[in-house]
Amino acid sequence: MKKIVSIVMVLVMIFALAGCSSAPAPADKSADTKTEDKVAPKEESVVIYQNKVEIGEQLSAFAAKYEAQTGVKVTVKTSGGDTPYAENLKAEFQSDRQPDIFVIEGKGGYNTWKSKLTPFSGDKWMDLTDLAFKADGKTYGFPVAVEAWGMAYNADLLAKAGIDPSTLTSQDAYKAAFKKLDGMKKELGIKSVVAMAAGPDMRWVTGLHNFNGYLSAGLPYGDTSVLDKMLKGQPDMERLKEYADWVELLFKYSDKAVLLTGNYDAQVGQFATGKAVFVHQGNWIDPWLMSNGVKFPMGFAPHASVYGEHNAIFIGAPSYYVINNESKNIQAAKDFLNYMATSEEGANYMVKEAKMVPAFKNITLKPDAPLSADVMKWLAKDNGAYTWLQNDMPDGFGMGTIAPIYEAFAKGDITKQEFIDQLADKIRALK
Amino acid sequence: MGKKLKSKMFFWLFLAPALLSFIIVVVIPFFMGIYYSLTDWTAIAGIKPNWVGIDNYKNMFKDIAFQYSFIRTFVFTLLSVMTINFVALMLAFLVTREIKFKNFYRAGFFVPNLIGGLVLGYVWQFIFKSVIPQIGDALGIDFLSNLLLLADPTLTLFGLIFAFTWQYAGYIMMIYIAALLNVPQELIEASEVDGANFFQKFWNITFPMIAQAFTITSFLTLVNSFKQFDIIIALTNGGPSDIYKEQIVNSTELLAVHIYNVAFKYNNMAEGQARAIIFFLVLSVVSMAQVYYNKKREVEM
Repeated sequence: MKKIVSIVMVLVMIFALAGCSSAPAPADKSADTKTEDKVAPKEESVVIYQNKVEIGEQLSAFAAKYEAQTGVKVTVKTSGGDTPYAENLKAEFQSDRQPDIFVIEGKGGYNTWKSKLTPFSGDKWMDLTDLAFKADGKTYGFPVAVEAWGMAYNADLLAKAGIDPSTLTSQDAYKAAFKKLDGMKKELGIKSVVAMAAGPDMRWVTGLHNFNGYLSAGLPYGDTSVLDKMLKGQPDMERLKEYADWVELLFKYSDKAVLLTGNYDAQVGQFATGKAVFVHQGNWIDPWLMSNGVKFPMGFAPHASVYGEHNAIFIGAPSYYVINNESKNIQAAKDFLNYMATSEEGANYMVKEAKMVPAFKNITLKPDAPLSADVMKWLAKDNGAYTWLQNDMPDGFGMGTIAPIYEAFAKGDITKQEFIDQLADKIRALK
Repeated sequence: MGKKLKSKMFFWLFLAPALLSFIIVVVIPFFMGIYYSLTDWTAIAGIKPNWVGIDNYKNMFKDIAFQYSFIRTFVFTLLSVMTINFVALMLAFLVTREIKFKNFYRAGFFVPNLIGGLVLGYVWQFIFKSVIPQIGDALGIDFLSNLLLLADPTLTLFGLIFAFTWQYAGYIMMIYIAALLNVPQELIEASEVDGANFFQKFWNITFPMIAQAFTITSFLTLVNSFKQFDIIIALTNGGPSDIYKEQIVNSTELLAVHIYNVAFKYNNMAEGQARAIIFFLVLSVVSMAQVYYNKKREVEM
């Protein structure tokens, strides 16, 4: 009996304690909402949770302008770069700080967040772009920007070597050019022809960007047949073989140290200091080049990922703003995005402030950055784009599953045939 | 109300806050974790996980990357426990002798431990990638200038152990210093009178007297090596690639990193959780066995 009494006492105490600690919380909350209701009954606010550290400040500044004009407060929260966005986003959703607008990166992100998205309809920006993210016939994603990669070249060095970049359209042309450049190393002052990276820090270059050549090079824009087959576990052996030649060519003419252990700075730095003629990167290296005072003229040549002629670079939207369907401010969030796409301030923010290539046709401002300006040229060409499919692969497949195979090939641990077989095996395992 | 009952009540009353928080932040999540490891949980709020039984565990043992990671983790742990304890003991010996500036040295050896693992990893990455080749260039040693230390699986593991030892030996040294200072001087003097040389003194007197410290230090180093994460992420990011059973695997993707990658990179939360539970079990068994074994060797004064 005494025991029971003591247990009951303890339980009462525990509940009292629990009560003490939890009771103030709801009180606070109600107080919060009350004051909000009283002070500004109609005030709307939008929280945007985004993953591009490099545009965080510019976006915040744009949001502040927007608030000054419309009175709608837009809060920009940024996480990305070295902090993993996907994980943090999950944490935001587990907490009660759900953002109104967040970012997905293509199909993979869509599959993860499907249940949380609400489609756009009748929004003005939708008619102004072909790059919106669509699934099941509905538009879910607002393209943040256009990015593109190809073989970025140093035009001065190519001119010195007497190579016209517009002739670089096939593996044979590249082979001849690489050989010629390799023979002129001393005269050009280069260490290697290509700045390529396949090391542990640079798995996105090989596993995502380079592999995308297998998925979409040489196919019409929007053609996903190779990807669809891959997702069913069927490798296209002929394509893989042609593709392996391309990988071998790139690896053969790159500097071993940068290839195997280099990081982003090492790879881009090699190109920026004129120690390499080509770099396997996209227009996102513009800010790096500009802040390091790189002046030489440059542009993109196509990747000759498979046999045949190529006259396109890989162009796409790396990420999309999507709307949280549990948001209380869906309309306000949509208004903000419309404003960004259609207003002059929005164009100015995207092109001049954030140094992005906008995905919208109504925008005529030209970027100052050399590679971004070149992307606009390719965009304007007929059939100047190959599709981005690297974000539509299963999570982790590009960087986790296949990228180490490139590294082993680069080190010489496996032969070209083994490289092909290993890739084919991993594709078959996707079934 | 009896006195006994009253004291009991106060006992539970004072225990309650600690017990409650322990239950809330450790016990409940632990069992939730076990539950999630038996489902296809995705960590997205609002999606109900489906029960899949022990599928996650089956996949894990079939996964060659996991097997490899397991072996590498054991190798890494074994080697780093040995090197850290050896280096720490040597340092402790040095700074307990009668030398000038010994407090300065103690502080100096301890400082690397105050640097976060990520920063330290990047510093060593820089040393391995840039400084060593440049030293090679300056001295005209081709071997050093062409050494791609972080491209070789074996060398990378040693590099990792080196960086970890550099970080952690100073901390373990502090524990050894405390133990060494507690060795009774009269025992050492007595042995000196008996004509014992340095090694005899160490082996027969100092070593048994600091056995208690060994229990602590080997436990700490073992657990911390086994759980190593941040230095790996910064220094090697799991690479370089290695070949195991004809599969290409990441040579320094030790268990903690492996679990993280499965859960977050492959977005396979439930499977990562299953691996984390096995990780927990193995770590508890190994560390308890170690403590049990070391305890038996301790000398009671």
